[in-house]
Amino acid sequence: MQTEICRLLGIRYPVFQGGMAWIADGRLAAAVSEGGGLGIIAAGNAPASYVEEQIHFARKRTEKPFGLNVMLRSPFADEVADLAAREGVRVVTTGAGNPAAFMDRWRRAGCAVIPVVASVAMAKLMERAGAAAVIAEGCESGGHVGETTTMALVPQVCDAVRLPVIAAGGIADGRGFAAALMLGAQGIQMGTRFLCAGECTIHPVYREKILRATDRSTIVTGRRNGHPVRSLRTAFSRRYEEAEYRGASETELDVLGTGALRLAVQEGDLESGCFLSGQIAGLVKRVQPAAEIVEEVTREAEQCLKGTSRWVR
Amino acid sequence: MLLDKIAELISERTGCGAGAVRMDSTFKDLNIDSLDRVDLLMDLEDYTGVQIELSEKVETVGDLIRIIEEKKKDAGKGEETENAN
Ligand SMILES: Cc1cc2nc3c(=O)[nH]c(=O)nc-3n(C[C@H](O)[C@H](O)[C@H](O)COP(=O)(O)O)c2cc1C
Repeated sequence: MQTEICRLLGIRYPVFQGGMAWIADGRLAAAVSEGGGLGIIAAGNAPASYVEEQIHFARKRTEKPFGLNVMLRSPFADEVADLAAREGVRVVTTGAGNPAAFMDRWRRAGCAVIPVVASVAMAKLMERAGAAAVIAEGCESGGHVGETTTMALVPQVCDAVRLPVIAAGGIADGRGFAAALMLGAQGIQMGTRFLCAGECTIHPVYREKILRATDRSTIVTGRRNGHPVRSLRTAFSRRYEEAEYRGASETELDVLGTGALRLAVQEGDLESGCFLSGQIAGLVKRVQPAAEIVEEVTREAEQCLKGTSRWVR
Repeated sequence: MLLDKIAELISERTGCGAGAVRMDSTFKDLNIDSLDRVDLLMDLEDYTGVQIELSEKVETVGDLIRIIEEKKKDAGKGEETENAN
């Protein structure tokens, strides 16, 4: 399987591992890229020095291209943006916000900028700002979410822009991959499935929660303060939800949420940790090397695509 | 009249009454989230023909109108670029 985005970025398969704050480090990203996909290091709220270490670590492990996910709301966004340009990272993806201010800097440094978008208007804005492609992320996904599902968002974004579109949200196997191509996408980005990659260093409690998740295990909280987030239902999400219903102040909600992802990832703390996960977690049943995941979903998608002709005379 | 257009667009997108949209209404009060803002922006660009920057500092409808008016002055130097639709 080869699409235009593969040629554009110099990757074997159009499979991105989504940036995941506190989780997607140089080790995971390098493993995905070595496996033929595009690994992406997440900067999250970390300072540039940490991100730089991860980039150098990944470069030691692979000569293949990988990406960097810059969280625009991070207090270190500026220095991380500079770092991306200085290091000439092949791909920069951005989440939660508008990267227009950094776009020129990155493009001059030869980075392909691929923003994550949750609406058609945002995709158009990014095309105008000089994006190389966009990742259309539906609200099935783990982490920050919009309102529109992948099924509805992807074809509408494909119609609105001339850029290659990568589909994200709710994809964890070859069936989802094939479906994304049918909707007009040129590739996929997965987050939740890679949480169970062997190279992914999350707390064993987190991994176990994902492996045992079902179709209804996730919930969106944070709609009220304008930052909706999808995570596993836990004691934490319940408390947060209750606080929202009770009409807790924004500051109170912020305090509840601060550091919660770190507590999940590093401590496996079910009481106070926020276990971000997509709705597709119920499909993730095994821990596998990242390269095997990339290979497997691609093979499955090829089978699906070949098989569809049987419905048509 | 830019206010009327904005009120119309917001009302159409969010279901609030157009009368609720005033110069001093904040986007927050109107339940306009960051994605809605981008939608609104693109619609207004089509309507006014000027390119508008997206900034978190724009908090009220009045702020937005001021920005558009300035842009229009810069772009057309008084030339009427609005397309009536
Ligand atoms: C634990 C977790 C953390 C995430 N953190 C980020 C992040 O820091 N930046 C970002 O742009 N997206 C983030 N995402 C979204 C992923 O990059 C990806 O787009 C999403 O997981 C795709 O949907 P899926 O979970 O259904 O595969 C995160 C997702 C998860 C599950």
